[in-house]
Amino acid sequence: MALRTRLILLFLLSLNGIVGVSARGAEPSAADLEFFEKRVRPVLVERCYKCHSAQSEKVKGHLLLDTREGWQKGGDGGPAVKPGDPDHSLLIEAVRYTNADMEMPPKGKLADAEIATLVEWVKRGAPDPRTGAATTVAKAKGIDLEAGRKFWAYQPIGKSPVPAVKDAEWPRGDIDRFILAKLEAKALRPVADAEPTALLRRLYFDLIGLPPTPEQIDAFVSDPSPKRYERVVDELLASPQFGERWGRHWLDVARFAESLTLRGFVLKDAWRYRDYVIETFNHDRPFDKSMQEQVAGDLLPAASIEEGRRQLTGSAFLALGNTNLEEQDKKQLEMDVVDEQLDTMGRAFLAQTIGCARCHDHKFDPIPTKDYYALAGILHSTQTLEHSNVSKWLEMPLPTDPAREATLKKREAAIAELQAKVKDAKAAVAKANKAKPGKKSNEASTAIADLAGIVVDDAQAKRIGTWKESTSVKPYIGDGYLFDDGDRKESKTLTFLFEVPEAGRYEVRFAYTPAPRRATNAPVTVFSADGEKTITVNEREAPAIEGHFTSLGQYAFEKNGQSFVIVSTQDVDGTVIADAVQFIPVNATGATAVTPPAVADAGSKNDAPAQRVKQLEAELKVLTEAGPQRETIISVREAKEIGDTRVHIRGNVHTLSDPAPRGFLRVIAMSHPPAIPEKQSGRRELGEWLASPENPLPARVMANRVWHWLTGAGIVRTTDNFGTTGELPSHPELLDHLASGFIADGWSVKKLVRQIVLSRTYQLSTANAAEGLRVDPENRLMWRMNRRRLDAECIRDVMLAVSAQLKDENAGGATFKAGLTSDFGYKQADNRRSVYLPVFRNSLPEVFEAFDFADPSVGTGRRNVSTVAPQALFMMNHPWVAEQARAAATRLLAEKQWTDDRARLARAYRLTLGRPATPAEERAGLAFVKDSAAEPAVETWAQVFHALFASMDFRYVD
Amino acid sequence: MIPNPFSRRAALKSAACGFGYLALAGLTAGNAQAAALNPLAPRFPHFAPRAKRVIFLFMQGGVSHVDSFDYKPTLAKQDGKMMPFDDSRQLANTGKGGSSQRIMKPLWDFAQHGQSGRWASNLFPEINRHVDDLCFIHSMQTEGVAHGPATLFLHCGSTSFIRPSMGSWVTYGLGSENDNLPGFVSIAPSAGNGGPRNYGSAFLPAVYQGTAVGKAGGPASDLIIRNLAAGATSGNQRRSFDLLQQFNAEQLRQHPGDSEMEAVINSYELAWRMQGRAPDALDLSKESPETLTQYGIGAKPTDTFGRQCLMARRLCESGVRYIQVTYGDSGANPAWDQHSNLAKHGDHARAVDRPIGALLADLKSRGLLEDTLVWWGGEFGRTPYAEKNGTGRDHNPGGFTVWLAGGGVKPGFAYGATDEFGHRAIQDKVHMHDLHATVLHLLGLDHEKLTYRYAGRDFRLTDVAGRVVNEIIA
Repeated sequence: MALRTRLILLFLLSLNGIVGVSARGAEPSAADLEFFEKRVRPVLVERCYKCHSAQSEKVKGHLLLDTREGWQKGGDGGPAVKPGDPDHSLLIEAVRYTNADMEMPPKGKLADAEIATLVEWVKRGAPDPRTGAATTVAKAKGIDLEAGRKFWAYQPIGKSPVPAVKDAEWPRGDIDRFILAKLEAKALRPVADAEPTALLRRLYFDLIGLPPTPEQIDAFVSDPSPKRYERVVDELLASPQFGERWGRHWLDVARFAESLTLRGFVLKDAWRYRDYVIETFNHDRPFDKSMQEQVAGDLLPAASIEEGRRQLTGSAFLALGNTNLEEQDKKQLEMDVVDEQLDTMGRAFLAQTIGCARCHDHKFDPIPTKDYYALAGILHSTQTLEHSNVSKWLEMPLPTDPAREATLKKREAAIAELQAKVKDAKAAVAKANKAKPGKKSNEASTAIADLAGIVVDDAQAKRIGTWKESTSVKPYIGDGYLFDDGDRKESKTLTFLFEVPEAGRYEVRFAYTPAPRRATNAPVTVFSADGEKTITVNEREAPAIEGHFTSLGQYAFEKNGQSFVIVSTQDVDGTVIADAVQFIPVNATGATAVTPPAVADAGSKNDAPAQRVKQLEAELKVLTEAGPQRETIISVREAKEIGDTRVHIRGNVHTLSDPAPRGFLRVIAMSHPPAIPEKQSGRRELGEWLASPENPLPARVMANRVWHWLTGAGIVRTTDNFGTTGELPSHPELLDHLASGFIADGWSVKKLVRQIVLSRTYQLSTANAAEGLRVDPENRLMWRMNRRRLDAECIRDVMLAVSAQLKDENAGGATFKAGLTSDFGYKQADNRRSVYLPVFRNSLPEVFEAFDFADPSVGTGRRNVSTVAPQALFMMNHPWVAEQARAAATRLLAEKQWTDDRARLARAYRLTLGRPATPAEERAGLAFVKDSAAEPAVETWAQVFHALFASMDFRYVD
Repeated sequence: MIPNPFSRRAALKSAACGFGYLALAGLTAGNAQAAALNPLAPRFPHFAPRAKRVIFLFMQGGVSHVDSFDYKPTLAKQDGKMMPFDDSRQLANTGKGGSSQRIMKPLWDFAQHGQSGRWASNLFPEINRHVDDLCFIHSMQTEGVAHGPATLFLHCGSTSFIRPSMGSWVTYGLGSENDNLPGFVSIAPSAGNGGPRNYGSAFLPAVYQGTAVGKAGGPASDLIIRNLAAGATSGNQRRSFDLLQQFNAEQLRQHPGDSEMEAVINSYELAWRMQGRAPDALDLSKESPETLTQYGIGAKPTDTFGRQCLMARRLCESGVRYIQVTYGDSGANPAWDQHSNLAKHGDHARAVDRPIGALLADLKSRGLLEDTLVWWGGEFGRTPYAEKNGTGRDHNPGGFTVWLAGGGVKPGFAYGATDEFGHRAIQDKVHMHDLHATVLHLLGLDHEKLTYRYAGRDFRLTDVAGRVVNEIIA
């Protein structure tokens, strides 16, 4: 077909299209009708109707293709066909399989002829005789927010009168009256009060996570004062160990960790958030304020540098998610980060499962998808990551005092200046080399053995396409170099493979010999653990380093990881040549660890510019290693682009619907919700919304958490879910009483804790009672105290306390070596309290894994309590347990006041279990010691301690 | 799920070893929580299963399907030619398709094998001898272009959210067949790309978590279960445990009817029995020299993977439900990840080919292949074109091959197809969610009914997707 005819035909076709568009709704022509009936309808019926017609079992994507109106209205993505314009018709996009998110039919692509038919049909203006309303598509019903607000959790916090009780003697305060009233209603009686020793042990574990020493028990028991208990409560609340215990509770909720599972990346400064949390509890900072710091600390005004540091550290809360930085679809990654933040924040402060509304209106709770994206818009206007192949979290500089700031600035300026000097000096070397191109033949080549690091010569490179060998331009490395033959029809590459001797950072250098006709833009790509990076090399200019090399930069390489360099002839303006690639290990400060031998270029021996480069580089190394370093915290900041987010259809980042103006959960009725300024993310307002006295959730949720952490079961047992799929409160009035008191007391956690532990309810024994078991087997009404399993941290800390190995100093700060880049295989060997062990997601201490430490990837208000065989194996066989048992035995035998085995056994029992041995236990223990008379005493007592650690009472607290 | 009337408790009471007598000593009739005592009791599946257990041979890093089992003559014909391709990585990064790429022919020669006349390259000569037992799926698709997301998707059905791993779901659904061994064992798991999350239980109870045996890239001597004492029954240790037993007995007496205490006693009993049985299950010295040779144990490239495959068979015989064997390492570019120097695929093939062939033959000759499903594959395949015109291939989640064997799948069968280059699946596509649904189905589990309520929602392995590929079921 001649070009002219083709154009005319095209024109006619498009004209036809236009006619088709303008004639939309009008009766199609007979020819079009015939085309539709003969060709189009069969395809639609056979290949589409199964999911897109009134007969479909389930209409997919709300799209109907069995009537004209069906495709005109379209499905979730809008109209399916744009008559006359196949390239902009979703239907055609789908059948062409060009959009990986929308390939139709999903099971297999249509035949080319079928696709051509549909394209032709759309081109013709999509003539379609099929009338009838597309009525079967039932769009999801909207959520009735007004009805939703009636659910207890969204109701304002009420003030119920304290109930009257029959037994007025029993209660010591209002908490007890709320509890007793419900018990009396079921004709139940609370059990007896706990024994003083049991109570003291309970109180110690609950408040500071460590048991009382035998001496502390004795002092308590022998104290005649009626105020003795209250006194201990206040002592423990004031102890720095209170924050260590309670901070750890919150760290669970905040899914705190110091590494990512992905590649074991270490978050070097995340420990600051841990210390922030511990201090927040120790200083009893108001919880409403700390909530605001955690969602918007970077935006709050600060009266002092210290406050500014604290607030910025608080907002690390948003950045600690276990993110898959490798996700290549960065839009997807951003929304996944937002989702993770919403999920964590929703559980932590609101006990709402907001994440359920990402893809559709919440099925159970009054959270429309639009609300999800209203909140998502706030977090999407917040920057959490810096994107590249493997995206990176932000390390935000902490404010610092003016003097130190000045020093830091000075140092940074000095470094920048020196770096500039190094650059200039290198340029000077290049210039000097350029000035003396012709080298003598005896300096023609440098042997590979004379070069530093690892050198891959061109002879070892894998060649694709035609490359020729040459020795004409000198000096070169090895026996010559390769150049491309100029044939641009074939694409040519050279691959330099590098076997990493050990993982780490390497400087990569590329060697070439310069000449006038060479490419000024030779693309050289480095493939490393950091991803891939292409550097354009000007091969007409002399290489700056040792007359051979130009630096391609510094990269991380892993063993067996991707480690190669590709030189290509893609779009070059001259001959590409390649001589060698050099890999030189780099130390932590960025200086190359190996000083290249001077023999590399005979000319450089007396070469002043080259000497100057070396000297400056050495100075730079000293400067970067010495002096004060800027302190940072993993955190967030306002994004460059601030704005609302659109609703994502079924959560897909590539199918967008209406915009959702930034805002908050509308089910929380608020007279004046904070207004979000157009140019700000709205996080600050989000913090205000959380802390508003009109928002009933945060105070209720936190009061319930405190109750849970003190009694083992929340008033709402699903501490992270106050939605309709969560449990209802056992004592809603008590919960509101505690929540309103919490707010009235200035959101003081310590006052709330104090109030609860002083109640008689808290001080009940854990004894069983037949009537209680019958009426209320799960103890929802608190007729007794719950018996609780110690958590992993306590189990570990107690063993260390008994063995006298616990480093008891206040041990904040970084607890792993600076420069650690990966947590794989990290050996947790430190006798600090458990809260200070680095929380490495790939290398948790075994005792944590065995005893249900909270998964540090998910916010957890209530830990699992499992009883599984690996715990038994750990207790029986882990060398660490045996070591502690041995150290405990050594300690016991060193205490000379215990003069016989009976006294020693009693001491061992009091140290480990906080009680004397029962007669049966004493008999068994003493018999064992007697039978072991042939063994060294320390071995025998180590076995006794080992058995005590492994015994059931060790891991339970009454 | 219907609880099995023959609970572990009944078996426990008749057990005379370990702390058995303790369980009888102080226990009263069960109470409200007693049902939770043994979450590993075998459970009835939703319908009659075709497979009782799974061995998943994970080829970490992504084997090139066009160099192994997906025969594309076009690649050899058009080798070196530049063609436009929709590159998955570029699509994810920029949303743009149609990049120019150099077609790269397979480095291994293809021929037809077996009665089924299946085309396969000589990359895996030993596996090729079993093609008539294999069921190939050539039209696999998955999520995630990078290892991290795709590896998590393969194991947990999600590229980034914290979800239970497949073995955990299976153990949750079916319980364990063996009281003395964990229900889910992951041999030589990788620490990278999600690490423990790939055999973790996430929000399912911890008891369903996979038990790791050794680690990827570790030495053969490391192939043990943690904290199993070697000489557990030696005199001293026995005495020490006797002392513990006496303490526990007394403590239980002080808390009559406490079901949690009972559970602790049970956990010690199981631990004690595991100590007796597990080393045995992993002990290869019981195998004949012929068997060891068949698996390539003692020979250089095959020793480690051979041991792991043989352990898998022994665990399989002992009733472990879900066994994963990983051929990989903990790097960011694991084993099969040949972005450059594709020829290195040959080294990896030499390490796994013979052991896998031996495993298939061994399972078959013992009648185990009947009800054991073997699954071979990586987290994705590789591109039919050279990466950056170099000497290797990039990741390809849009089309790749896995094979299954035994456990109710059609032998000597192939399903689905990629385009003429092997780039994208176009016919009878099987998404990873579909494969998950199918494997669960073969185990007698309905992937839409195997749910767990967490944070107010019923979760499942297949999220809101998944189709059982009935076409491959015998």
